[in-house]
Amino acid sequence: MTQKGHLAFLLPLASCAGAQTPLAPAGDQAAGQYSLLLLMLWVCGILYMLVLGFLAMGLWRLRRGAPAGNEPTLETPSDAVLGKTLWIWAAIIVVGLLLLAGASFLLERRLAAAEAREALLVRVSGHQWWWRIAYRDPRNGSWIETANELHLPVGTTARIELGSADVIHSFWVPNVAGKMDVIPGRANAIDVTPRRIGWFRGQCAEFCGLQHAKMAFDVKVETPAQFAGWLALQARPAPAPEDAAALRGMEIVTRGACAMCHSVRGTSARGRPGPDLTHVASRRMIAAGTLAMNRGNLQGWIAQPQALKPGTLMLPVTLEPRDANAVAQYLGQLK
Amino acid sequence: MAEPMERHWLQMPCRHILLACMLFSMPTLPACSRESRSLGPGQPQTPPSGFADPRITYFEDNLYQTAQGGRYFSWYGCAACHGTEARGERDLIAVQLRHSPSFVDVYASIAHHRGVSFGHDGMIPTEQLWQLAAYVRSLRALKREQRRRQDLDQAGEPQAMSWSGTVR
Ligand code: HEC
Ligand code: HEC
Ligand SMILES: [Cu+2]
Repeated sequence: MTQKGHLAFLLPLASCAGAQTPLAPAGDQAAGQYSLLLLMLWVCGILYMLVLGFLAMGLWRLRRGAPAGNEPTLETPSDAVLGKTLWIWAAIIVVGLLLLAGASFLLERRLAAAEAREALLVRVSGHQWWWRIAYRDPRNGSWIETANELHLPVGTTARIELGSADVIHSFWVPNVAGKMDVIPGRANAIDVTPRRIGWFRGQCAEFCGLQHAKMAFDVKVETPAQFAGWLALQARPAPAPEDAAALRGMEIVTRGACAMCHSVRGTSARGRPGPDLTHVASRRMIAAGTLAMNRGNLQGWIAQPQALKPGTLMLPVTLEPRDANAVAQYLGQLK
Repeated sequence: MAEPMERHWLQMPCRHILLACMLFSMPTLPACSRESRSLGPGQPQTPPSGFADPRITYFEDNLYQTAQGGRYFSWYGCAACHGTEARGERDLIAVQLRHSPSFVDVYASIAHHRGVSFGHDGMIPTEQLWQLAAYVRSLRALKREQRRRQDLDQAGEPQAMSWSGTVR
């Protein structure tokens, strides 16, 4: 095998640690499901080893030679003990299944009990192919909108209300929460209680069209103080442009095509079909995990979204190079 | 005794059912090509060059492109004046049926839309103008149920400056 071959062999192990795996839980719900997974592995593993063990034993006994002449039939098994062991075997299976069903029942109860501790309400809506995210401001009950980046305070239970604007999606943040389908016409919700600070990755887990694979989002678990600061920043209107180029960019964004699909709070851009751009530069990624957030990628995205995410519902807007530059300059300042 | 078990499938007892299934599914095959989509950059960046522009036939015959046009029709809030079923202050279906304007005309009346603030040139990306025009042209052939179905499908989607939230 070549060296590359060895590496490919190791590939499945890569999912054992990292920002998108159920095997490194960072929240109550994920931890509960992880222990259920371990229990399942043990129960099924032990039964599997038993089956293989008995198979090996049978083969070994066969090789030693069965007594010739009296071929065993179904009615008269060659081994009288077999009749009795069969009952024991059935009992083992029933006990294993009862163990799994019981543990899953208890876990469900624990997941549902989190409802009493909800302290934060977030609405996550699936769109082809990005996530609209809105926080209810605890101070005045208004909604603060952002996109593709979910921030959660550590140790607090957040209720995430899920809805879809178009087709079925699925909300999946394996490290922190489980998975919950996002279904048009149905009000689903999931509780999450993160316990470990860090960046995690969420991903749409239900095929929803061309760019399903590029429908991801970042999840940041942070201290309650950091979270409060972030939320206060998101609630503010967009910062004013800092230089002449950005000013020109703002004019194009608010008077041109962009404003028909995007909102920049504090300006006249109030379109709703696309992600809110008020603090777009404060995010880590562009277009639902497609590109890292930086000036070059922003400009590339505006010039040719179809080249970077073929089929995306944002279409290229024809801009003079100087204007494209100005727009990117402006968006880059929307921290 | 028994004859050999090898039989051609056309001699099997269920052959009638098999044949019927094949016959009935055949007409659906050509429909797939009407859904085919060309993605990525290099989509139309210029308006139609004339009545014979080959892109016109492509857009009008392609279900994906006309459906996208229908979607953007609601995203851009066209329904506010033209009604959710494209009837309203200005009934686009009636115009289509009565005057049957050409693709080039429809394209131009969206790109240089009269009386509405977003009618300025350059406000709607070119590719979308093609899709919108193809959708408006397809209206006269769309049955009432089909238009209604589209409204239901898009009930959770934003319309211009307003969005009433996902379908619950
Ligand atoms: C037809 C509606 C439409 C128009 C017009 C439009 N956009 Fe978008 N835009 C979208 C949609 C939809 C997305 C989400 C795309 C995705 O992730 O698949 C998006 C995504 C973006 C993003 C990434 C946002 C994020 O949170 O990652 C930026 C930046 C952006 N658009 C800027 C612009 C600018 C600048 C213009 C004008 C030159 C513009 N858009 C015009 C619909 C539009
Ligand atoms: C503010 C209301 C309003 C909105 C929004 C609007 N239209 Fe119109 N539209 C009209 C009126 C009024 C006319 C007739 C104008 C005239 O002929 O003087 C018209 C005419 C048209 C025509 C030409 C048909 C004819 O009467 O000859 C087309 C095609 C059309 N609109 C498409 C659209 C599309 C596509 C959109 C969305 C991008 C849209 N309109 C948005 C009001 C509106
Ligand atoms: Cu998906």
